[in-house]
Amino acid sequence: MKQAQFGLRAAAALFAAVTLAWSTGAAAQSAAQRAVDAAKPLCAGGKTITIVWEAGLQSLDPLNFSGPKWEQLTGCKVKVVEAPVSEMFTKIMQEFRAGTGAYDALNVIPAWMPDLAQAGALEVLDPYVEKYGYAKELQTIAATYRDNQMKVNGKIYGFPDDGDVFVFYYRKDLFARDDLKKAFKAKLGYDLAPPKTWKQFGEIGAFFTEALKSEGIYGASMFREAGYGNFMFQERFRNEGGKFFDANMKATINGPEGVKVLTEWRSENKFMPPGVEKFGFVENLAVFLEGKSAMTISWPPYGRFAAGYLSEEKALSWVPKSKIAGKVGYTLPPGGHPELAAGFALSVAAGSKQKEAAYLFIQWLNSEEISNQRVQLPYALRDPFRDSHFTNPGYLKLWPDAKDYLAALQAASKTGLLDLSLIQTDKYEEALRQGISRLWAGEDPKKILDDIAKQWDEITAKVGVEKQKAVYAAWAAKSGAYPK
Amino acid sequence: MPASCFPLSISSPSESFLAATRTLAATRDRRFKYVLVAPSIFVLLLIGIFPLVYLIVVSFQNITMTDMDTSFQGLLNYREMIHSTRMWESLLHTVIFTAIALPVELVLGLAMAQLFIDRIPGRQVFIALLVLPVVISPIVAGATWSLMFDNRFGPINQIIGWLIGGEATILWTINPNLVYPAILVAEIWQWTPFMFLLLLAALSAVDKSQLEAASIDGAGWWRTFFRIVLPAIWPVMAIAILIRGLDLFRLFDIVWALTRGGPGTMTETISIFAYVKGFQQFDTSFTAAVALLIIVLLSVVVMLALKRVELAR
Repeated sequence: MKQAQFGLRAAAALFAAVTLAWSTGAAAQSAAQRAVDAAKPLCAGGKTITIVWEAGLQSLDPLNFSGPKWEQLTGCKVKVVEAPVSEMFTKIMQEFRAGTGAYDALNVIPAWMPDLAQAGALEVLDPYVEKYGYAKELQTIAATYRDNQMKVNGKIYGFPDDGDVFVFYYRKDLFARDDLKKAFKAKLGYDLAPPKTWKQFGEIGAFFTEALKSEGIYGASMFREAGYGNFMFQERFRNEGGKFFDANMKATINGPEGVKVLTEWRSENKFMPPGVEKFGFVENLAVFLEGKSAMTISWPPYGRFAAGYLSEEKALSWVPKSKIAGKVGYTLPPGGHPELAAGFALSVAAGSKQKEAAYLFIQWLNSEEISNQRVQLPYALRDPFRDSHFTNPGYLKLWPDAKDYLAALQAASKTGLLDLSLIQTDKYEEALRQGISRLWAGEDPKKILDDIAKQWDEITAKVGVEKQKAVYAAWAAKSGAYPK
Repeated sequence: MPASCFPLSISSPSESFLAATRTLAATRDRRFKYVLVAPSIFVLLLIGIFPLVYLIVVSFQNITMTDMDTSFQGLLNYREMIHSTRMWESLLHTVIFTAIALPVELVLGLAMAQLFIDRIPGRQVFIALLVLPVVISPIVAGATWSLMFDNRFGPINQIIGWLIGGEATILWTINPNLVYPAILVAEIWQWTPFMFLLLLAALSAVDKSQLEAASIDGAGWWRTFFRIVLPAIWPVMAIAILIRGLDLFRLFDIVWALTRGGPGTMTETISIFAYVKGFQQFDTSFTAAVALLIIVLLSVVVMLALKRVELAR
C-alpha cells in the first residue's frame, strides 16, 4: 500500500516537474519562435500568404528579407502585392467588397483603421494575440504607437509596425559657424540655434538665405506639395493650439491658428528654394542632400540617407549622393510636437481564407526579434517603433551620429501627434489637400479655410453628427491627439 | 377515301401548301438564326445591360464605404447630385476642355493631313513618327508631360530659362493661369495625330478628277476645299469629331497625372470626380447616380450628333 502511495506521489511529482519545465520553456520561447512553431503545421503542403505592401523600397523587406526567411522557417511562401500608398486603401476595400479572399495580410495606415474596421475589412486580432501569447511583446512597442495606433473601439485591429514621425533636420556645421553666429546675434538679438518656435524658424530661415546667398544655400526647404502638406498642416495647426472640431462637432479649422499657419507658410516660401510649392519627399530630399538647404522636416529615412552610410546599397542608387554626411543634426520640429505622419500597422484581412497563417506571419514580422532586424535593413523604410529599437546596439553603431538620431526619434515618438482619424478620414483630408493646393494657386488663406470648414461640416452631417462625434471623442482622448 | 377529299395533293401541291411550307422553313430559319446569335445576345446582356440595370438599382440605394444599405432610398443620391456644386463644376471643366481641345485638334490634324497629302520625301517616316503619341498610354503621356513641366528639371522651364537668360521657375501645374494651357498642350499633343491619321485617309480618298476639274475651271484653293474636299471628307471627319468628343468627355488620365484635378478642384473633370467619389471614398450609390447622368448625357449627345451627320439612318 505504501509502495503504491509512494509510486503515486512520485508520478505526481514527475508530472508537476514536467509541466513546470514545459510551461517555463513555453514562457521563455519568443513570440517569433511561437509563431514559427505554430505556423509549421499550417504551412505543410506549401501555402502562400498574400500580403499588401507599399510599392517601392518598403516592399523590399518582404521581397528580399522577411518573405524568404518565413518560407525557410515555416514552408509558407509569401506573395507581395505592391501598391502605391495612394492606392492601397482602394485596393484593400475593393478586394474586401469583391470578397475574393485574395489578400491574407495587410499593411494599413493607422488613420484608416476606423474606416476599415467599421466596414468589416479587418480581422479582430485579440483572440489570436491571446492564443499565441503575444500580449507581452505588444507592451514593448513604444507607448505612442501601442496606445494610439492599434485599436478601434477597444479591439486590436493591427500591430503598429512603422515608427513614422517627423524629425527636424538641420545643418550642424552652419549653426556652428562663428561668422553666422555673430551676424545672427547682431541682427536678431538671440543666439543662433535650432528653432524652438515657428517664429524663430522664420527668422533663422530668412537669415540663412540672405547670409548664404553666395554659397547657394537656402534657409530651409519643406514639404509643400498638397499630399505632404496635409501632414505638415495638421502638425503645425495643433502646435499653434488649434483644434479640428468644437464640442458640437463643428469644424474649427478656420480659426486664427489655421489662418496663421497658411499665412506663414506662404511668407516662409520666400526664403525657400524656388518651386518649393511642389516639393514632396524626393524633391525636398534632393535639395537637402545636395547641401542647398539649412533646415528641413521629414520622416526618419532622411537622417539615414543624409549620413551617407548607405551609398553603396544598390536599391538606393536613386538617392542623390549626400554632400552633408556628418553635418546633420536631429531634433524636434518647432513646437515640440511632431506629426506621427502616416505609419503602418500590420493587419489580417477579414476575407482571408487562411487567417491563422496570416496572423502568425504578422506576429513573427512584428515581434521583438524580427522587427529589430527589419528596422535596420538598409533599403527598407520601416522606422524604429519598439523601445528596444531605439537602444539596439547594432543600430547605434550604424553611423557616427546614429545615437543622436535614435534619441531624436525616441523623443519625437513620445510627444508625437496622431493623424486625424475619423469615419471617412480621406474626405476630410481631401478637402485639406485641395485647400493647400489652392493656397499655392494664390487664394486667400481665410477663404480657403472657411471653405474647408464648410466641406468638413457637410461630410460630418452626411456621416451623422452624433456618430462622428463619438469617433472624434475617442480619437481626441488618445494621448497623441493634441499637445498636452 | 378518294383523293379529292384531300385538300392538298403531294404530286401537285397547292399554293397554300407551298406557302405554309415556306413559312415553316422561314420560321425554322429564323429560329436557327436566333440560336446562332443567342450566345452573343446573352454576352451583350451580361456585360452591357445587366451592369446598366444594376447601376440604376444601386443609384437608388445608399451604399457607402461603411454602410451596405441596399434599401430603397428614392431620389436621395439624385438630390445630392443636383446640389453638388463640385459635380457641376467638374462637368463644366470637362466641357471647357472639350470645347477647346476638339477644334484645335481638328484644325491641326486637318492642316497636317493637308500637308502630308502631297508626296514629299520621307513622308512615310514622318507619318509614322507623328502617329507615335497616339500609341502611348494616356497615363504615361501625362506622366511624361508632368516631367516636361517640372519646374526644376523639366526641359520646358530650362528652355525658357535659356531664352530669358536666367532661372525660370514657372509652376505650370499650380499657377491657375497656366494649368489649363498645360493640360491642353499635353492633350492636344497626344490626340492631334489621331485626327491627322483619319483625315489623311479621308483626303486620300477624295476624287482627284473633281479637283483637277475645279482647277481647270479656275477655282481657288479655299473654294475647292469648301465645295469639293470638305463635303467629300465630311462623313469621316464627323466620325473623327464624334470619337474625339466622346474621348474628351471622359478625359481622365492626362489631368490625373498632371494635376489630380487641382489646384483645389480647378481642373477636375467629371471622370475624375466620379473616380474619387466611387473608388477613393466609396460613395458607391452616389457615384452610380453620377455615372447614370454621364451615360444619359453622352447618349443624348451621340444621338444628336449621329442625327446631325445623318449617319444613323
